[in-house]
Amino acid sequence: MSHDLILFDGVSKFYGEVLGVNKVDLQIPPGITSLVGPNGSGKTTLMNLMAGLIHPGRGSVFVRGISPFAPEKLMRILGYATQYDAAPRGLTGFDFVRAGLLLHGFAAAEAARRAEAAIATVALTHAAPRKIAAYSKGMRQRIRLAQAIAHDPAVLVLDEPLNGLDPLVRAETIALFRDYAARGHHVILSSHVLQEVDVFSDQVILIANGRIVAEGAIRSVREEIHEHPSQFLLQCRQPARLAALLFEQADILEARIDPAGSGLRVLTRQRAAFADAIQRIALSGVVIDGVLPMDENVDALYEYLIGGGQ
Amino acid sequence: MNQIAIIARLEIRRAFFSRRALWVYLLALFPAALFLGRGVSVNYDRREYAAKPATPAVVLDRLPVGTTDAAALAAAGPPLRDHTWKRAQTTHRSLHYFDGSNRVWLQFENGALKNTRRLPLNSFDQDLRVYAGVFQYFYLRLAVFFGCLGIFINLFRGEMIDKSLHYWFLAPVRREILVLGKYCAGLIAAAAIFGGGALLSFGALLSYQTAADVEPYLRMDALAHGFWYVLAAVLGCAGYGSVFLAAGLVLRNPIIPAIVMLLWESINGFLPELLQKLSVLHYLQSLCPVPAPIDPSAPPLARMILSPAAPSSVWAALLGLVALTALVLWAATRTARRLEINYGTE
Ligand SMILES: Nc1ncnc2c1ncn2[C@@H]1O[C@H](COP(=O)(O)OP(=O)(O)OP(=O)(O)O)[C@@H](O)[C@H]1O
Ligand SMILES: [Mg+2]
Repeated sequence: MSHDLILFDGVSKFYGEVLGVNKVDLQIPPGITSLVGPNGSGKTTLMNLMAGLIHPGRGSVFVRGISPFAPEKLMRILGYATQYDAAPRGLTGFDFVRAGLLLHGFAAAEAARRAEAAIATVALTHAAPRKIAAYSKGMRQRIRLAQAIAHDPAVLVLDEPLNGLDPLVRAETIALFRDYAARGHHVILSSHVLQEVDVFSDQVILIANGRIVAEGAIRSVREEIHEHPSQFLLQCRQPARLAALLFEQADILEARIDPAGSGLRVLTRQRAAFADAIQRIALSGVVIDGVLPMDENVDALYEYLIGGGQ
Repeated sequence: MNQIAIIARLEIRRAFFSRRALWVYLLALFPAALFLGRGVSVNYDRREYAAKPATPAVVLDRLPVGTTDAAALAAAGPPLRDHTWKRAQTTHRSLHYFDGSNRVWLQFENGALKNTRRLPLNSFDQDLRVYAGVFQYFYLRLAVFFGCLGIFINLFRGEMIDKSLHYWFLAPVRREILVLGKYCAGLIAAAAIFGGGALLSFGALLSYQTAADVEPYLRMDALAHGFWYVLAAVLGCAGYGSVFLAAGLVLRNPIIPAIVMLLWESINGFLPELLQKLSVLHYLQSLCPVPAPIDPSAPPLARMILSPAAPSSVWAALLGLVALTALVLWAATRTARRLEINYGTE
């Protein structure tokens, strides 16, 4: 058992019939790791599994050698700012952070001191005496971050921590992540948008439909998506003519007339160029009834990541 | 240990002042209000009659059945009230006297004394029995029951609805400890509210009795009775509380456990002895110091439901209740270990 890795070993989680994540194997070293994927891809599910808020239906999870079934040990080294927006009823920001520290066993004075420090780190000192219920969305996000870092955990798990932050706070928050990672800690965060996190992440895990589609250092992940050819089914009445035009105008690896007679199957690596070519060909008068991605996960993710940059 | 105290401290304010707390207080204070009201009415009667002329009891007692109304009036003097009415062929007359502590009605038919009805201004013995009835049939069965439902079921279920349960799960605390800490917070609140309610109502019961009644009672049984009533209420909170806390872990709808429990506790008298041991009320009834009155003319079914379950000795009842509570709490901790955060389907 490795004591400075977060390990997922064949982890599957279903919510009744609904797939959360499927057969996930991961070994996450310390540093900043970003989980990137579209809505419903399973990012929150992975994080909840790490923190023991949910338990795997199959497989096992270990966080620096500790099982999430032992919260009394795990939570000493883990801080988790969830995506759930609710705050306990009637608490001020300060009370909220301090309550967490009291549960960690800090004496009252020390808990108060640490709570103040954590709140100062997220620049919320002015709002600390106010009820969380009256906070804005971004402020609630930051107070949750303050609670997650208040006991200085070795593993910091943050679900969409940059959502709703203004640019200044965002830069400060990212600096905080870097600082944390530089001390040999884990920082695990999630995002919808690759471009948002790739500049400061040491590692990126791309996830779609509950599966890990690519993982590794940011450059290799980019290449992995790029190298992974994707397949489309072009529905048309003149597949042979379309194939000829495509070989001329786009960088495609393969084109086959679909045996079922519904059109043309195409394999390409250059999705953006391919999409442009299709558009040009269609405008020139060749009737194309539909473009169906045949390789769901990667394509959906690719489309998504391209779209996310806009 | 220490963590249980920290959790209980963080949680207790909410247990006392939850959104739904108001009716819990109303339930707890109802018997006290009832007996305070009774006290006001008894004292009012006392003042009313104190100002009126009293006829010595011996005079009224000496009048045999058959005495004419004229002879009675001559012997006892003018009545406080004189009421005559006719039904069918019979003339009824009622002469009302006060003998210093009892209200007395001489009832005549066609001019002859038929019977003498005597009602004390207040009967301490009877009040003690009424109190026992209110305590067992209303307080333990309904007030403590529903109060605990309100307080304990929300310890977990309320936080699932508020979507704040995960904060507890993210603390470095065993789930078992979390369950116990929350249970302690609920128990402290419930015990204070319902133990206090029992004490207040018992005080209210004694507040308006005559010194002649209360003084011997205070010397003899009052302390013990008060103690057992409060203890029964507190243990009721402990027992029902554990059940409703456990129910709040697994069920979303509070109505279901309430109905199931109420039915279970009601039909308990019909169950085999072994199953009776799984009822909270079964033990509580053995702890009540004064047996609750039951009308012998009540239909057998009603008597089965209301009658005290097979009484065990006080110590057996105490041990049984503690064991039952521990068993339910143990089951609750097992459930909590596997509990997942699942706000999605709300
Ligand atoms: N409590 C739940 N009950 C049923 N299905 C759930 C539950 N939580 C998540 N799911 C399903 O599991 C899948 C993964 O959800 P998850 O919340 O992990 O996605 P996500 O990547 O965090 O999405 P988002 O970007 O919207 O936060 C989704 O299909 C979702 O519908
Ligand atoms: Mg999510």
